[in-house]
Amino acid sequence: MNDGWTAYGVTLHSRLLLGTALYPSLEVMGRAVEASGAEVITVALRRQAPGSGGGRSFWDYVKGLGRRLLPNTAGCHSAREAVALAHMARELFETNWIKLEVIGDDYNLQPDPWGTVEAAAELVEAGFAVFPYCTDDLVFCKRLLEVGCQVLMPWGAPIGTGRGLLNPYALATLRERLPDVPLVVDAGLGRPSHAAMAMELGATAVLLNTAVARAGDPVAMARAFRHAVAAGREAFEAGIMPERQTASPSTPVAGTPFWHGEGRG
Amino acid sequence: MKCAEVVVAGGGIAGRLLAWRLLRGGRRVLLVDRDPAGGASAAWVAAAMLAPASEAVTSGPEVLAPGLAALEQWRQWLAELAADAGRVVPAGFTGSLVVAHPADRAELSWFAERLARIAGGEELAQSLDRAGLADLEPELGRFDGGLWLPREGWLDNRALFAALAEAIAVHGGQWLAAEVRAVFPGRVETDRGPLSCALAVDCRGFGAKGDWPALRGVRGEVARVRAPEVALSRPVRLLHPRYQLYVAPRPDRHYVIGATELESESLAGVTVRSALELLSALYSLHPGFGEAEILELAAHCRPAFADHLPRVAAEPGLLRANGLYRHGYLLGPALVESALAALAERPPAPPVRREEAPQLESVR
Repeated sequence: MNDGWTAYGVTLHSRLLLGTALYPSLEVMGRAVEASGAEVITVALRRQAPGSGGGRSFWDYVKGLGRRLLPNTAGCHSAREAVALAHMARELFETNWIKLEVIGDDYNLQPDPWGTVEAAAELVEAGFAVFPYCTDDLVFCKRLLEVGCQVLMPWGAPIGTGRGLLNPYALATLRERLPDVPLVVDAGLGRPSHAAMAMELGATAVLLNTAVARAGDPVAMARAFRHAVAAGREAFEAGIMPERQTASPSTPVAGTPFWHGEGRG
Repeated sequence: MKCAEVVVAGGGIAGRLLAWRLLRGGRRVLLVDRDPAGGASAAWVAAAMLAPASEAVTSGPEVLAPGLAALEQWRQWLAELAADAGRVVPAGFTGSLVVAHPADRAELSWFAERLARIAGGEELAQSLDRAGLADLEPELGRFDGGLWLPREGWLDNRALFAALAEAIAVHGGQWLAAEVRAVFPGRVETDRGPLSCALAVDCRGFGAKGDWPALRGVRGEVARVRAPEVALSRPVRLLHPRYQLYVAPRPDRHYVIGATELESESLAGVTVRSALELLSALYSLHPGFGEAEILELAAHCRPAFADHLPRVAAEPGLLRANGLYRHGYLLGPALVESALAALAERPPAPPVRREEAPQLESVR
């Protein structure tokens, strides 16, 4: 992972972004962040009475981890709520970065495409660097780029499900059609192999929270994901062999004339 | 300036228990709290589950052994309290149940697996099918199974607060209704003047944040209802991917529903969203909760250190005990033991840590 990637003019080397919620304790969270090597960590503040500074002790701890903070608007169900929270986050964390989440369905926390695009347009206008949480729908993603987003955060599966890449085809399509846009696969990754798979498909980075925070040993799991992301990225860069319909032995089988073989493995 | 041998600042669970144990050990104790009934403390709002196994799953394996020991300690203490105060504190030691709705069944297997791993061979949970669940709690009929954690329980925290107050009085302990502003070696500053003493004990929970900056508040919201149509005898934990909700029984078909957990130090009232979460989870557990009367919606801040484990700090003339987080009743016994140990220069009881007294910003 020596090659970097760029988000809104900032060069990053780690391709793993980590959330800060749901850990057994703050201390475990801090050690997991350390072990993950993440340079960017997300912070939710919707439910912390941010208007009255309710989460200050927590925010100070998170700031103390020395990573670039990406506040999010998790828990917002309308563009208006999300925009208001983004402004609050900008003041509290002194960053114009915002991970935009506008939820359209409360049960599986699916993003609301209309609300997300509306809020993204308004936030870009107000000078924010918007990281929109979106589905893997190409048209939704294109609309987000049209209103000024420079990074996309398509889901792998609904938040917290840990189901991995439900639609690798759609993600591969995004990669192919939007080759220059950083794609951060966000949500739904449960295992390191899911993260590796996303990276193999050409994702620029992945964002995790539950899979690490709710592991038996979050610190070890953070490390495991770090390795998986690195492996997936390296595989992508190395060039992955195409899949084939028929098995093909990688060494000629004795007794078979070589011209009957279908190339080599 | 008033004088007492020991002044305990804070009449929540830690202060009350410690004052009672110190009095029984022959010390003369004055307890200071702005609300001697205990209504200003987080432990008053709490559901008072005694859940070592389930809390080990959600908070970390460190709380398992001390939590299991706490159940035994509570049985003994409740017997002593009945003798001291002539009051029986309602409590249950017949285990707790863990259930999940069909959509969240994966949570139940996750919970069982995690617990098995932590328990390391010790049987802390039994899987129940529908009939097994109905045997224990006939009214949980809408669930097709669950887990029974036989070594868990609950106690009636408000009855406990009253019994401890009574026992403290019986042993000659004094109360002062005053707001504590700061606690120093040999001195407690209150809004009614300073108190000098041989030993100042700081048990103010989140209220001690000014003197112990490593503390933070973790907001929790709790509902109390009276549900004549529901008869549950054990605490029930409802697993959900995003919320941790449980219902703890009280006498007379009262129930305590807890608790949200928010990284916030706001002490404002319960939000609509939290009330919706708590109450809809409650209703989903048993339809009889639909007509329950809401008695109270209350919020408080649990005092927590970064590792979510309690700590004591001692220096001549001063003892601080804090950081019980969501485990006031589960780890209260270990904290009290550790505080008494610190006074005798003995090491603390796990998982409590002892540290040097935090530096005060202005020692006068």
